[in-house]
Amino acid sequence: MKVTLNWLKEYVEFDLLPEVLAHRLTMAGLEVDAMEKLGDGLDSVIVARLDDVRPHPDADRLTLCTVATGSGIEQVVCGATNHRAGDLVALAQVGTELPGGLKIKKSKIRGQESCGMLCSLTELGLAASSEGILILPPGLELGVPVFAALGLKDVRFELGLTPNRPDCLSVVGVAREVCAMAGSPLKLPQPALAESGPPAAGRTSVTIEDADLCPRYAARLIEGVRIGPSPEWMVRRLETVGMRSINNVVDVTNFVMMELGHPLHAFDFSYLRGRRIVVRRARDGDRFVTLDGQERLLAGSDLVICDGEGPVALAGIMGGENSEVRPETVDILLESAYFNPSAIRRTSKRLGLHTESSHRFERGADVEMVPLALDRAAALIVELAGGQIAAGMVDAYPATLPKRQLTISAQRTSKLLGMDVDAGEIHKVLNSIGLTCDFILDRRDGALTVDVPHFRPDIEREIDLIEEVARLLGYDRIPVTMPVSSLSSQPLPRHLQLERRLCDEMASLGFAEVVNYSFVSAGSVERLGLAADDPRRRTVQLLNPLTEEQAVMRTTLVPSLLDTAARNIAYRTEDLALFELRPVFQPVPGEELPRESLRLTALLSGRREPLGWAQQSAGCDFFDIKGTVEELLECLNIGDVRWPSEHGESFYHPGKSCAVEAGSVRLGTLGEIHPEVQRVFDLPQPVYLLDLDAEALFAAAGKHRSFRPLSRYPDVERDSAFLIDEAVSAQQVLDTLSQVRLKDLESIVLFDVYRGTSLPPGKKSLAIRARYRALDRTLTDEIVQGLHGKLVQALQKSLGAELR
Amino acid sequence: MKDQLTALEAAAARAAAEANGELDLQQVRVRFLGKKGELTAIMKMMGALPAEQRPIVGALANEVKDRLEGLFNDRLESLRAAELQRRLAAERVDVTLPGRRLRQGSKHPVTQVTEEIVTIFASLGFGVAEGPEVEHDFYNFEALNIPRDHPARDMQDTFYVSEDVVLRTHTSPVQVRTMLKQAPPVRVVAPGTVYRRDSDITHSPMFHQIEGFLVDRHVTFGDLKGILTTFINEYFGAGTGVRFRPSFFPFTEPSAEVDIQCVICGGDGCRVCKNSGWLEILGSGMIDPEVFRAVGYDPEVYTGFAFGMGIERIAMLKYGVNDLRLFYENDLRFLRQF
Repeated sequence: MKVTLNWLKEYVEFDLLPEVLAHRLTMAGLEVDAMEKLGDGLDSVIVARLDDVRPHPDADRLTLCTVATGSGIEQVVCGATNHRAGDLVALAQVGTELPGGLKIKKSKIRGQESCGMLCSLTELGLAASSEGILILPPGLELGVPVFAALGLKDVRFELGLTPNRPDCLSVVGVAREVCAMAGSPLKLPQPALAESGPPAAGRTSVTIEDADLCPRYAARLIEGVRIGPSPEWMVRRLETVGMRSINNVVDVTNFVMMELGHPLHAFDFSYLRGRRIVVRRARDGDRFVTLDGQERLLAGSDLVICDGEGPVALAGIMGGENSEVRPETVDILLESAYFNPSAIRRTSKRLGLHTESSHRFERGADVEMVPLALDRAAALIVELAGGQIAAGMVDAYPATLPKRQLTISAQRTSKLLGMDVDAGEIHKVLNSIGLTCDFILDRRDGALTVDVPHFRPDIEREIDLIEEVARLLGYDRIPVTMPVSSLSSQPLPRHLQLERRLCDEMASLGFAEVVNYSFVSAGSVERLGLAADDPRRRTVQLLNPLTEEQAVMRTTLVPSLLDTAARNIAYRTEDLALFELRPVFQPVPGEELPRESLRLTALLSGRREPLGWAQQSAGCDFFDIKGTVEELLECLNIGDVRWPSEHGESFYHPGKSCAVEAGSVRLGTLGEIHPEVQRVFDLPQPVYLLDLDAEALFAAAGKHRSFRPLSRYPDVERDSAFLIDEAVSAQQVLDTLSQVRLKDLESIVLFDVYRGTSLPPGKKSLAIRARYRALDRTLTDEIVQGLHGKLVQALQKSLGAELR
Repeated sequence: MKDQLTALEAAAARAAAEANGELDLQQVRVRFLGKKGELTAIMKMMGALPAEQRPIVGALANEVKDRLEGLFNDRLESLRAAELQRRLAAERVDVTLPGRRLRQGSKHPVTQVTEEIVTIFASLGFGVAEGPEVEHDFYNFEALNIPRDHPARDMQDTFYVSEDVVLRTHTSPVQVRTMLKQAPPVRVVAPGTVYRRDSDITHSPMFHQIEGFLVDRHVTFGDLKGILTTFINEYFGAGTGVRFRPSFFPFTEPSAEVDIQCVICGGDGCRVCKNSGWLEILGSGMIDPEVFRAVGYDPEVYTGFAFGMGIERIAMLKYGVNDLRLFYENDLRFLRQF
């Protein structure tokens, strides 16, 4: 919503600097998004006369103008086509800086000298768009600043209004707020109406069939108008608040809407069949062409304005092409009505048709403004377009809408705001915005009754009044206090603690956290080659996605993370360690909401260590990602871990991937991605992935750690290497060793795996280092020999290992 | 014999001085003081002396031995010191070569800012609550006093999953869920991911918010100002200017938009604050009685306040990030800066 200082001053007397007014409007809840001083610094844009206009000798599209400035003659090159010799124009003289930042300099354009620029409305900051240069009305004095000559020195405020304040969608509404600041009364326009025509009654009529959606519909008949351009003042005024002039009659309806906040519509009376108006619900399937030329399919819930035969306007939203005011229109039926906000909103939403009119009606217009808006517009139409107003307003208002009466207690106001406010103060501030208040004398909490005018549909309850009081007194006045509340401890829930720990651990392991969109394309999982019956193929779909790339909620983090990797590699960041810890969304049959479960997905790619003179240059491999998982399990104190190589995920290299289980619970999978997936995702290098169910991790996480005593005695280490069948896994070896259960065995490390031609075919060599240490004594060589012998025997017996 | 001892001492001292290594010195020591050394040999000849001379010569021999021990030890010390010097001199590295670094990980700036904010509110006694991202229309809108066909729905463009299920447009449904579960007093913050159907340089279809609310008897608008002013001073630095100005949210009444003094220009006016000197950072207000009714709290007994802020917005201000989309592009060159 745009208003200007000059326009506001027509309805309220005040003396505030524009900056102060802007601040006070903002602090009153009418946020000033922008303030623009029209014509500020533009005194060097002057009225000038075109004495001669001729083609530029070396450019087809340019003209060479001889311009009289009042104090001299200048030559200016101009690219417009709408100017003629004799026109008065706006000349930006050399040295001017225009609102768009353009500095006017003396220049040569295609070899011709140009001293200044002839400006368009847009260039002067007066309109968002315009055609050609501004041609000024005749009779202005040469050399005078254009803004002064046109009376356009003004300040424009752009307000960001909240949807609860339809009353401020007009200059008068904003003026009412200024009244409260300035302590002066509101001066509403008083139209001088000459009802010189024959009575309207009998020649036209209004019938409201659906009064629930249209409680009031008033009309006036104006005959004998001449449609034509609006006068300069009207054009400028509409332009300064961002509207384009159409013709004198339509301009008046727009002007009154901006002035009083009440949308109006003008019909060409001669096209109203039966010369009458019927307001009713549309019939399902009716088709109707609105004046933007679009055919609209109507629904039974839409309210339409009809003539004797059918729809002529979509109530409160847009008129119809069939009855629109045209250049040849002579007789006009002017509509001023009040429509039910929800009904207008429903139709406007359904048709995707949002207009200045629907914007106001759906927020709530003022039913009492109906007659004033109608009279104001009728008077202006006669002033601008001539014609006669038929005697009498046709005003169908079957049941008067009741006015709200509320009470407000000073005590409750004080209690909620945390400062003392007395009834007298409340009375004063509510009065200042046009709310009539009366003290309730027998109530001891300082209560008042308040009559809420129809222009404030947002005030429905006492709390709404309390807000008005707070707002008008100023939030600044409310003291800053700290709540008095009983102490209670509120520890972070366990899963959030664990989530944080997991996140910290990943970061400390060198992974960077990423955040990808939760929505992905429907084909996203396809690229992983999941089985046809994989549940992750069933997704939560958005009814109204922004793009096909964001159409479904993801059921796995893997594709987004692989895309992130590919994008980074494309930017030449090739050594990657990324993780994402976010929910996935799995539809649950029979449930409205999907199951949201947290997953931890991470990947490694490229060098193991950052490039450096002292660094290993080796690339990561499967055991880097496995080591990461092991670190996480350790960090969460998860034991009894298995690494089954059968895992059912198709997106891994089958020979370099596994699942991870704790107890018998699947925690997730890890491995090198399948070369085919690598190709599909445009990844030029192998990628190692882990994909874990964070909630399963949390469930498996050890609740607490208990201390194991430390031995003060020396240890004894024994290394042994075994020849063993290739088919025997390291897991089998470690399991066999752990089954031996030796009390004084402190640790076993598998420290070497060797394959080579020196070994018999089909065999590999594994070397272990066992460290023995007792808690209570020094172990002798003999004892250790015996213990170690048991380990060796177990491997020999169970796995056919040979000691090397 | 006396002369022999004197000569031996002089010879030993010379030999020790000439020894140029620990091993060398060890041999000298054995030669003079060892069991079969020269001193022992002299001592053995003591038996041939007259009885009255023996103690005198014996004492002299012991003195020589002690002095030589001392001498050898000193020499050993200085040989070791010299040896160490030599080693240290030989072991120089080019300390200007870059160090051996580990791969550096990081948490996403959104995570970091969220944790910082949660920590501040935790210190003020607030717990943490959560709720689903795919949410019932009821929790996201209806219970928050945003009925269907209400213009307030235009404030938040919504992604729909079905007629009754949406991607939550704010973290406020967590308010409703928490209050339905828990009787007052309640003091909770709820960080989370939210979605709005909007995408341009300043809007992302997915972003993050943190919601906070406090319900108890006698909670006032002044308390709202107190808690939020405290938070802002903690997060943006003591003395940061704060202003509360009237606004509208369907679920709070009175509602307030909270601005802080521009952190870029200090309030003088710049591009970031559009020359106003102020930056809008959060929305807040006293919880609307309608919301209390929807969750079964008695609005006659309880009052409370709620607030919500965008995490990315705060991260952008804090780090001077100028494009919202960077948060979701996950370019490591960006992520590594945090």
